[in-house]
Amino acid sequence: MRRLALGFLLVAAACTEEATAPGDCPNFCPGGQIVVQDSIFTTIIERDSAFRGYVQVYQADAMTAADLPDVQSRALVVLSTMITRVAPKTGDTATVPIAVDSSRLRLKMVRRNRATTNLWLKLYALPTTTDSTASFASLDSYFGATPIDSVSIDDLLSRPLITDTATLRLWGDTIQTDSAGHVLQTADSAKVLTLFFDFDTLQAPFVVADSGRLGLGIRVTADSLASAAFATTESGSDAPSLLWFYHYTIPDTVSATPDSVAQASQLRTPKFDSFVFDPPIPALDDNLAVGGVPSARSLVRVAFPAFLRDSFDIVRATVILVPAVAALGLPADSFTVLARPIQTDLGAKSPLSLGSGGSVVVRPGSTDTVRIELTNLVRSWALDTTIATAFFLGQQPEATSFTEIRFYSSRAPAFRPALHLTYVKRFPFGEP
Amino acid sequence: MTLRPVVALAIVMAIWPSDRLAAQDSQFGIRGLGTPGKWESVRARSAGGAFAPFDAFSPLMDASLADVRRMSASVTSGTSWRSIDAVSGAQTSLRGTRFPALVISGPLTGRISIGGGFTTYLDRSFGIITQDTIDLRGVPQPVTDEVTSDGAVTDLRLAAAVRIHRRLAVGAGFHLLTGSSRVIATRSFADSANYKTSTSRDEVAYEGQGASLSALVDLHADLRIAGWFRSDSKLRADVRGRTTEENDLPLTYGAGVLWRPGGQAILAGTVSWRNWASTGPGAGPNAHDTFNWSLGAELGSASSPIRFGVRGGRLAFGVGTTPTEVGYSAGLGRQFSGGRGRLDLGIERLERKGTGLTERVWTFLLGLTVRP
Repeated sequence: MRRLALGFLLVAAACTEEATAPGDCPNFCPGGQIVVQDSIFTTIIERDSAFRGYVQVYQADAMTAADLPDVQSRALVVLSTMITRVAPKTGDTATVPIAVDSSRLRLKMVRRNRATTNLWLKLYALPTTTDSTASFASLDSYFGATPIDSVSIDDLLSRPLITDTATLRLWGDTIQTDSAGHVLQTADSAKVLTLFFDFDTLQAPFVVADSGRLGLGIRVTADSLASAAFATTESGSDAPSLLWFYHYTIPDTVSATPDSVAQASQLRTPKFDSFVFDPPIPALDDNLAVGGVPSARSLVRVAFPAFLRDSFDIVRATVILVPAVAALGLPADSFTVLARPIQTDLGAKSPLSLGSGGSVVVRPGSTDTVRIELTNLVRSWALDTTIATAFFLGQQPEATSFTEIRFYSSRAPAFRPALHLTYVKRFPFGEP
Repeated sequence: MTLRPVVALAIVMAIWPSDRLAAQDSQFGIRGLGTPGKWESVRARSAGGAFAPFDAFSPLMDASLADVRRMSASVTSGTSWRSIDAVSGAQTSLRGTRFPALVISGPLTGRISIGGGFTTYLDRSFGIITQDTIDLRGVPQPVTDEVTSDGAVTDLRLAAAVRIHRRLAVGAGFHLLTGSSRVIATRSFADSANYKTSTSRDEVAYEGQGASLSALVDLHADLRIAGWFRSDSKLRADVRGRTTEENDLPLTYGAGVLWRPGGQAILAGTVSWRNWASTGPGAGPNAHDTFNWSLGAELGSASSPIRFGVRGGRLAFGVGTTPTEVGYSAGLGRQFSGGRGRLDLGIERLERKGTGLTERVWTFLLGLTVRP
C-alpha cells in the first residue's frame, strides 16, 4: 500500500499541462478578439521648445575641420605647459634648464569624408593665448600664414605597410610613412587614422617664456568637400598629444669627468581644444533645433491621452518630425538624432533619464520626414503616471560639428510633430 | 500502512489551488460558459457514471449521503490525454491533470448524515493559438494570438441527507459556485523589432448559488431508484470588481435505477437532463439542452470489484448542431486496511463529435477513499 500511496502522490505531482491548441476560429475560439488600432495623434505634442548651450564647442568629443563651399571650419589645440627645468639628481633641489631638441605631435582623425580625394591636413601656429573667446575671424589670419607642416592623407594611405619587427617594437603596430617622415597608423578598417608629425624647434618652438605652451591650428583641404574630425581631450586616450624630446646637463661636482648629458621626453595633452567655423549657426527660432554648436536640444511635451493608459496596450510608438530646412552638416556624414526621456519637466534644465528612448540617423541635406521609434518610452508613460510625458531631442555626439537639424514645432499646424501609435485594445475577458 | 499519510493527502487535495479542480477540458466549451464537470467519483465514472446517484462520494446527489455510516473522505483525480481533429485537418494533442472532486461526509445522528466538498461545475481551462496577417501602417504584418484561460467554476457543496424510512432517504444541498480563471491574451508580431508583444492579463471571478433536492427509494432489497433536482442562480462573472457577464444556469434533473441481481453484481443506469439552452445571452445560440444516459456494472466482491460502463448524450455547448458524446469506461477497486481505505482505478475513453470538430479523450482516473 505504501507503493500505491506513493504512486498516488506521483500522479498528483505530475500536473503537467499542455492545454494550448491551434484555434479553429471562430467556432472554437473565445468570443472576444484581439483588436489592433493604429492612429496618428497630430495634436498631442504641445509646448515644445528648443534650447541651446548644453555642450559647448570646447567640451565636445571631437573637433571638426572642413573646407566646404558653404562652411569653413578649423580645429585648434593649445597644449599644456611644459617643464623648463629639471632636478638632475634625486634629492638635490638644484635644477638645470632643459633644451628641447624636437617634438612629435599625435592627432587622431576619427572621422573623414572618405569620398574626398586629395585630402590634405595642414598645421598652423596659433597664439598660445587662444581660448574659448576665439572666433573664426580672429584666427583667420593665422591660418593664412605658411603652415608649419602639412601631410597628404591620400599619399600616406597609399604607402606600403611597414611590418618589420623593429617597427612593431617601436610603434606597437604596423605603420605607413611618407618621404617627409609623417607616420600613419590605421584602425577600424582605416576609418580611424592616427597621425604622427615630427617637429623641429623651428616648427614647434619651445618658448620658455610661455612655459612651453604651444598653439596649433588644423585645416583640411581637398579637391572638394574636405572635412575631418579629430579626437579631443574629452574623448579620453585619443586626445591630441605632443611629446617633447629634450636634454639637460647633469653637473659633475665629484669627479674630474666632464658634465654628462641626459636625454628625456615628456608628453603634453591639450589644455584647450576646440574648433571655429564660419558662417555661425543661425539663432534659435520657432522650430525645434537639434545639434549645432553650442549644442541645441528640443524639449517635446506630450499630452498623453488618459484612455491609452486604461484600456490599451501600446505595441508601437513613433514620433514623426518634419524638417523645416534641409539638415545642415558635413556631406556624407550622417548624424544621429536621439529622443531621450527626462526625469522631471524643468524646462530647459530638465534632467535626462536613463530610461530608453529612441534614435534615428539623419543624412545632411535631407528634408525627409524623420521618424523615431519610442515604443518603450511611450509604454512606460502608459504604465506609470508619475513619469514625465516629455522627451528631449538631441544630437549624438553633441557639439562635435556645426551639424544641425530643425524640425517644425507645434506652432506650425500643417507640419507639427505627431505621435503615431499602434495599440491593442484590452481583451474582453469574462465574456464567452 | 497507517492512515495518517492518506488523511494528510486528502487534506492536501482539499486545499489544492482551485485552478486544478477542473474536471475535463473540451474545445466545445470555449464558445460557451465552459465545459460542465462530471459530478462523479472514480467508482461511478469507471462505470460510465451510472452509479453516481447511488454513490455517496459522487457529488451528484445528496440523498446518497444517508448511506454513509462513518466519517469518510474521498478524492478523485484524473489525467487526460486529448486529441482534437479539426475539420480543417489540423490535429492537436493536449494533456492535463485535474482533481475534479472531493467529498467529505459522515453521520450527524443515526438518521442524518451531512457532507460537503467541491467539484467542478464548469471548467474554464483552455488555450488557443491563432495566426493571421493584418495590415499595419500599410505593411502586411503576420501576428500570432494566444488566448489562455486557466481555472474553473467550482461547486462548493454543503449537504445533508435524512433517512426518513428504511426504504426512503431524502437529501438537500446548498451549493456555492465560486472560483476564478486566470486569463491571458497575447498578441506577438513577426516584426518583433518594431512591434512589442501585447499581453493582457486578468482574473475572472465567478459567483453563484444553487440548491439541490434528491431522494433514494428502495423498492426492493435489490432494487433502488433515485431522483434528483437542482436549480442554480445566475452565474456572475466579475473582472476587477465589475460584472462583465451574467448567465442563467440550467435546471438539472434526472433519475437512476440500481439493481443487484446477485451478491457480486450490481447494475445501474441513469438519465439526466439540463436545459443549458436557456442560459442566456452569454452562451447564445451555441448552448443546447442536454440529455445524457449511462449504464454500468460492478462485478465481484465489494473489496475488489471490477467495473465497466458506457455513457452517451449531448454536450451543452457547440456551434451548429448539438455535439454528442459517447464514452466507455472500466476500472477496479481495492479495499485496504480492513476496509478503512479504498483505492479506485479507472480508465475512460470519450469521443465527442460536433460541427467541425471531433475530440477523443483518454482519461486515467485515480480515487482514494478513507474512513479514519
